[in-house]
Amino acid sequence: MKVLVAVKRVIDYNVKVRVKADNTGVDLTNVKMAMNPFCEIAVEEAVRLKEKGVATEIVVVSIGPKTSQEQIRTALALGADRGIQIETDEEVQSLDAAKLLKAVVDKEQPQLVILGKQSIDSDNNQTGQMLAALAGMGQGTFASEVVVDGDKVNVTREVDGGLVTVGLKLPAVVTTDLRLNEPRYASLPNIMKAKKKPLESVSPADLGVTLSPRLTTLKVEEPPKRAGGIKVGSVSELVEKLKNEAKVI
Amino acid sequence: MTIHAPEQLIEELKKLVDEGKVRTDADSLANFGKDWTKIYEPKPLAIVFPKTTEQVQAIVAFANEHKLGLVPSGGRTGLSAGAVASQGEIVVSFDYMNQILDFNAADRTVRCQAGVVTQQLQDFAEENGLYYPVDFASAGSSQLGGNLSTNAGGIKVIKYGMSRDWVAGLTVVTGKGDVLELNKDLEKNNTGYDLRHLFIGAEGTLGFITEATMKLTRKPDNLTVLVLGLNDITNTMDVLRTFQQSMDLTAYEFFSHQAMQHVIAHGGTSAPFDADAPYYALLEFEATSEQKMDQALELFEKCVEEGWVVDGVVSQSETQLNSLWRLREGISESIAPHTPYKNDISVVVSKVPAFLTEIDAVVREHYPDFEIIWFGHIGDGNLHLNILKPAALAKEDFFKQCEKVNKWVFEIVERHRGSISAEHGVGLVKKDYLEYTRSPVEVAYLKGIKQVFDPNNVMNPGKIFDL
Ligand SMILES: Cc1cc2nc3c(=O)[nH]c(=O)nc-3n(C[C@H](O)[C@H](O)[C@H](O)COP(=O)(O)OP(=O)(O)OC[C@H]3O[C@@H](n4cnc5c(N)ncnc54)[C@H](O)[C@@H]3O)c2cc1C
Repeated sequence: MKVLVAVKRVIDYNVKVRVKADNTGVDLTNVKMAMNPFCEIAVEEAVRLKEKGVATEIVVVSIGPKTSQEQIRTALALGADRGIQIETDEEVQSLDAAKLLKAVVDKEQPQLVILGKQSIDSDNNQTGQMLAALAGMGQGTFASEVVVDGDKVNVTREVDGGLVTVGLKLPAVVTTDLRLNEPRYASLPNIMKAKKKPLESVSPADLGVTLSPRLTTLKVEEPPKRAGGIKVGSVSELVEKLKNEAKVI
Repeated sequence: MTIHAPEQLIEELKKLVDEGKVRTDADSLANFGKDWTKIYEPKPLAIVFPKTTEQVQAIVAFANEHKLGLVPSGGRTGLSAGAVASQGEIVVSFDYMNQILDFNAADRTVRCQAGVVTQQLQDFAEENGLYYPVDFASAGSSQLGGNLSTNAGGIKVIKYGMSRDWVAGLTVVTGKGDVLELNKDLEKNNTGYDLRHLFIGAEGTLGFITEATMKLTRKPDNLTVLVLGLNDITNTMDVLRTFQQSMDLTAYEFFSHQAMQHVIAHGGTSAPFDADAPYYALLEFEATSEQKMDQALELFEKCVEEGWVVDGVVSQSETQLNSLWRLREGISESIAPHTPYKNDISVVVSKVPAFLTEIDAVVREHYPDFEIIWFGHIGDGNLHLNILKPAALAKEDFFKQCEKVNKWVFEIVERHRGSISAEHGVGLVKKDYLEYTRSPVEVAYLKGIKQVFDPNNVMNPGKIFDL
């Protein structure tokens, strides 16, 4: 079974994000970039499926500037077999991403497409769903467990207050939630091997897609500053403040 | 001098500081009377919280007048009982002198009160696009005054040096009660003895550090961590040498499999790879370009070919960088419930392999029943050897047994011209062993210096040495 995994290059989760002075966006100069954490989970799940003998080939795809090849290489080091980079310096919104991925799906004919449930930069939580609709596939979103069973995949989903398990006919789209798995580290021997794995680069035009952003960002602002903490002198003072000021106990 | 009753002294003391800034309740006495060590019973007379250098000066004058001992107290994360008050001293806490006073972008310096927490300075530097490189697991609680008084080292010494190297200037109150402005923040100032460096590492025995001007530097670029599994403890040095021949490391740490197991059991991180190795090395560098990363990969390959390294991983994001660091940084905390007996010993780097082999043989022979945890800043020749207390053994008996083995360990240290305390200081814990590292003649000079700054021995009496 062929698995397609989409990964996105985003600002590193641990970097303190700074908003540009003119409020048009986030300052990206000299900022550490990394693979979107939900995409790491997607790659890990595909690699586990391969280790179990369920998946036979893992193709990893990323849309973005040339530098997003770094994230494809990381996925290859983690166990993906081959990479496709859709190179563009333009802004790519969810629908365009879904269209580009749909074109790749048409070409590659994977049985399973795994994506992160959202990327931590735009937080849209749309691409997987849109892709499923465009490709006419079933979707199992917010997955905390994925079990492939013959021509079906059972996806346990995290929903408010509990879990729901859905059964989907393959091919299908799965988007990952945090608790699906714990991604491994890239081993150094595998990083070296990854250098020799095939990585193809295509443009949106090659895939017959014209990017057409539909949203304009009006303003980006930092959250309001948190009020400073206070130091308490004793346990009794702490209890008193929790009771009477914070009113939490 | 008239002898006053304790209550009277406390009333006098209250007049020297702000309202409410003297505490004598049992909670405060127990908390502020001790540091991270659990060996000595805290027994302070009172805890006082000055807010200014002038108030510190008044407290020193008061102590001289009444012949009282003063114990400077920072974040109380010290590991040598330097901040322990077990003989009725007054603890002088810097918790309320925690202001960053001034930032000078052109000089890249920042003026801090002694109670500024290490991480507060690190964060301040970062907010200003700069970097304060001194770092260790206790940075969230330890204070600059404590860092400087122990000349704290930590995980970045291999590239950035010790706390000492980041001090441009100091304001101190000597044991005699004089306020001195040391070095005036100058880069170059060859005007005789540099007293600044006497106060750094003095463990509060010469006077109080009340303010410090700290230097900052540029932020490191794309820090990347490798964790390598080693076949043998002496491979730590083979790997270090191989990497250092062609690249600058910002950190080089090692730890044993057992140490790592404690961290993993403690939670929050997982093993770097499946293969088990008896020891691990963590190395960090600035992966400024693809070539740099390729170079690291080549060096790794060489180490594998030589049979030193079994496997290795690399951080691909800051999140991974932090979780790999946790494997090393989490050790002290994860073994703390086992009341560890801590050794902090060092030799020059070239002697590390022979040193480790000898130490290993000695602890195997003398501690057959105790769990030994190996880790340390091995790139600096610094080994943290921790002996864990078996649950069934009483604390006193355990420490007694460890002290017996000290003799064997410290004799090896002495033979290799090493230090019995690489970065934690002497305090009370190591003072009986000082002469394994400092000659009697040298110790006599140390006492002479103490006499000059603190003739009445009010400053942290009984720490480092007895007079
Ligand atoms: C988990 C953990 C990890 C650690 N890792 C490291 C490490 O990697 N490297 C390292 O070097 N240390 C390490 N330490 C030891 C400790 O954190 C350092 O020694 C630290 O610098 C102590 O700072 P503090 O403010 O807690 O000092 P305290 O413990 O409060 O005091 C230390 C000494 O300084 C004196 N002192 C404090 N403030 C002043 C002042 N204003 N004027 C004069 N004297 C003063 C005290 O009297 C005492 O003698 C570690 C400790 C822990 C608990």
